Amino acid sequence: MDYILEILPYIWGGAANAFKVYGVTIVCAIPLGIICAMGRLSKFKPLSLLIDMYTWLFRGTPLMLQLFFFYFGLMNVYPMPALTAACVTFVINYTAYFTEIFRAGIQSIDKGQYEAAKALGMTYGQTMKRIVIPQGVKVVIPPLGNEAITLIKDTALISVISLADITKNAKVVAARDFDITSYVVAALIYLAITFVIINVFRQIEKKFAYYR
Amino acid sequence: MEVIRIENLCKRFGRLEVLKGINLSVEQGEIVSIIGPSGSGKSTLLRCMNHLEIADSGSIVVDGTHIARAHETTGRAVYLPNKEILSVCSRLGMVFQNFNLFPHKSVLENIIEAPMTVKGMKREEACVIARDLLRKVGLSQKETAYPFELSGGQKQRVAIARALAMEPEIMLFDEPTSALDPELIGEVLQVIKQLASEHMTMVIVTHEMNFAREISDRVLFMDQGVVLAEGSPEDIFVNPKHSRIQTFLNIVAKTGESGGLADSSGSGFTDGATAGEAGQLGMPDGKAGGRTLLKYGRSGEKTDARGKGGAE
Repeated sequence: MDYILEILPYIWGGAANAFKVYGVTIVCAIPLGIICAMGRLSKFKPLSLLIDMYTWLFRGTPLMLQLFFFYFGLMNVYPMPALTAACVTFVINYTAYFTEIFRAGIQSIDKGQYEAAKALGMTYGQTMKRIVIPQGVKVVIPPLGNEAITLIKDTALISVISLADITKNAKVVAARDFDITSYVVAALIYLAITFVIINVFRQIEKKFAYYR
Repeated sequence: MEVIRIENLCKRFGRLEVLKGINLSVEQGEIVSIIGPSGSGKSTLLRCMNHLEIADSGSIVVDGTHIARAHETTGRAVYLPNKEILSVCSRLGMVFQNFNLFPHKSVLENIIEAPMTVKGMKREEACVIARDLLRKVGLSQKETAYPFELSGGQKQRVAIARALAMEPEIMLFDEPTSALDPELIGEVLQVIKQLASEHMTMVIVTHEMNFAREISDRVLFMDQGVVLAEGSPEDIFVNPKHSRIQTFLNIVAKTGESGGLADSSGSGFTDGATAGEAGQLGMPDGKAGGRTLLKYGRSGEKTDARGKGGAE
């Protein structure tokens, strides 16, 4: 027990970077995802195609490879501090996933809703804002919750560009002490964080349960 | 005064010709029913009137405005810019087979949505109108309910109130009772009948033959994209000149007997909570309303008993 208390502050110290990347990604990638989803569904074909290519590229290659590219690959062209590079990579990568989630959410809305709104004289913009997107949000909450959990675990990847994080710090301790307890501690930290995330999403789901 | 005029309207979905040169005009205050077998193009014709379907050729005049004008040489339908069409079409109220209520909004919010966003009406003002309409369709108690909490008949009555909130000059009904359980059809038809008594101009696509016969000034029979016959209810239902119509009516009459559609013109809201309010229906313009109420009363007894059971 004393040993756990001794190593905990160090391992937990890695969480700071994880939280920074996490926060920036959630705050930026969700609105960007909504915008890209609208573009993906736009009748302007080149835009739709461009966004389709983008989501393919970033969902189709490993996040670790993307981290290497944005940090090491751009070092000579556009050097960034490791943390900035991590945030940029995560935002671009997660926007790609969110784009597809929001696209599916918007498309899940029955065409009768558009027709009813149009028959009442509402413009396309009003229909999206007042009728379609509010209903789409409810549809996308469960898949968004999934991504929110995956994201906190993906932050472990930032160690490949030399940033401290929970997993990396645990590994350092394990190597130093020849003891795997630190891995268990890291696992418990992740479980605690995901527990909070899961419950936040449960609350949001409850908030939208007022209609079916 | 003519409020809708359609000339030589054609529409195809891919290879399928759905409308093959339809001509139709609707006078102010007139009630026109469109009947005919499935796939005959009835709904498509109705949906062309408020731009939910885009016609290939022909012209459409709504309330004096050509929303589509046939091109002089080719006959192709040339539409006005979308924005202008939208403002013309907002003078048409539409009621759908599947209600299409906004599920994330309460009954009251469903009704005030368009007056507020489209007309820019203040919330309080829109609420006054909405509550008035809810009283009219017998659903005052339901203003805070959400669509999923309502029966099909109640949903359709809310949908009618929502369309009326925009104070339309013409109401279009696209098979308003086709998605309803038999015992709920009567309450929706009653609301439509009340609108008839208030001389609302209406175009109704329906499979309810008794209802069409009773309410319409004029009936159109469509088959395979053309208007096969047009005339007074007597012309169509009593002395159909076309054998196709006779066959259709015979088939419908048969299924009607077994399916319980026969007493669909019955009376009354089936939800006990609003039974008291139902009495107010048809009253606003005195005599006419009274007469219509009496009319339901006759065939109503049977349905009333059944209806109450059905609501539980």
